[in-house]
Amino acid sequence: MSIPDENAVFERLLRPHLDRLYRLAWRLTGSKAEAEDLFQELLIKAFGKLDQLLRIEEPGSWLCRVMYNLFIDERRRFTRRRMTVVDESHLPEDGFAGVAGNSDPAHDNERLQQLERLGRALAQLSEEHRIVVLLHDTEGYKITEIQELTGVPEGTIKSRLHRARARLKEILIADGTFS
Amino acid sequence: MDRFDNELQDLLRDYPMPDARAGFYDEALLRAAQEGARRTRNRWLVTGFGSAIAAGIAIWFLSGVLMTAPTLTAPDADIPGVTIALEQTNTVNLVFASASRLDSATLTVVLPEGIELAGFPGQREISWETSLNEGKNLLPLKLIALTPAGGELYARLVHNNRDREFRLRVDVS
Repeated sequence: MSIPDENAVFERLLRPHLDRLYRLAWRLTGSKAEAEDLFQELLIKAFGKLDQLLRIEEPGSWLCRVMYNLFIDERRRFTRRRMTVVDESHLPEDGFAGVAGNSDPAHDNERLQQLERLGRALAQLSEEHRIVVLLHDTEGYKITEIQELTGVPEGTIKSRLHRARARLKEILIADGTFS
Repeated sequence: MDRFDNELQDLLRDYPMPDARAGFYDEALLRAAQEGARRTRNRWLVTGFGSAIAAGIAIWFLSGVLMTAPTLTAPDADIPGVTIALEQTNTVNLVFASASRLDSATLTVVLPEGIELAGFPGQREISWETSLNEGKNLLPLKLIALTPAGGELYARLVHNNRDREFRLRVDVS
């Protein structure tokens, strides 16, 4: 395959899955810079495995698994190489823009505050609990899909989900979000 | 399931995330396809300081006006250097000074033959997206010299169409 052909095949194969992959990267990392980094590294890896990718029946699922594994491997690197003073916690216009629904400004503002508190509560969870609850309750992954993605047994996933929800509820009751 | 469970479910369902920035997918696909290609380097200088265990290098990165740079030198002048120990982890601190907050900057580090970044075995060029705060941003790099040859380390920071690059001579003792 010539280089232009190879690039075109790669793009044709990957493009339908990019939104799903970016969402997964974001949910795994919780930050724009790291989501982009993880996404980029996945694509670079996928390009190197183009021949293999062409033979896979469900490239989307395969790519998600590779991304998850990459994240598990890479997160330590991210931690090591993160600039020490970078703080990405203040991204309200990115993180909380576009909440759909009620057009009442007062209600919207209250909802934004609730979502911001939820973000802070999520940040208090362990990584494994945070990922499971976000994938299941926010992204709509089924337990079996999370199992396939992470390789974690179903019972463990259910347990993590239960504990994550319980902890979130506890935090949100304590901070007055739920009253 | 009580009322709070339902409220939590509603909140989690609404928990947002930003869309990818415009053009990001195209850039990422292109970059992936150009894996291994070295970028053309425009040499901008910078400044640096170092020691065997920790060295600091300042990149004066700005979005318009050249900031005060205490030890700016011309690009062709002698580059700063650091000596690191063979087969030991040595921390070299890069300091990026930015006049304003920068999101989605790309930092690329190119290592000389025989020197690796801890955690990146066998990789000579490592790139990642990052954000810089206004002021000084510290990035510690853990270098491991596998051979006594040494060489030059390049670091390049790109944001939009602007970039800065510096070189650091790495000697091995």
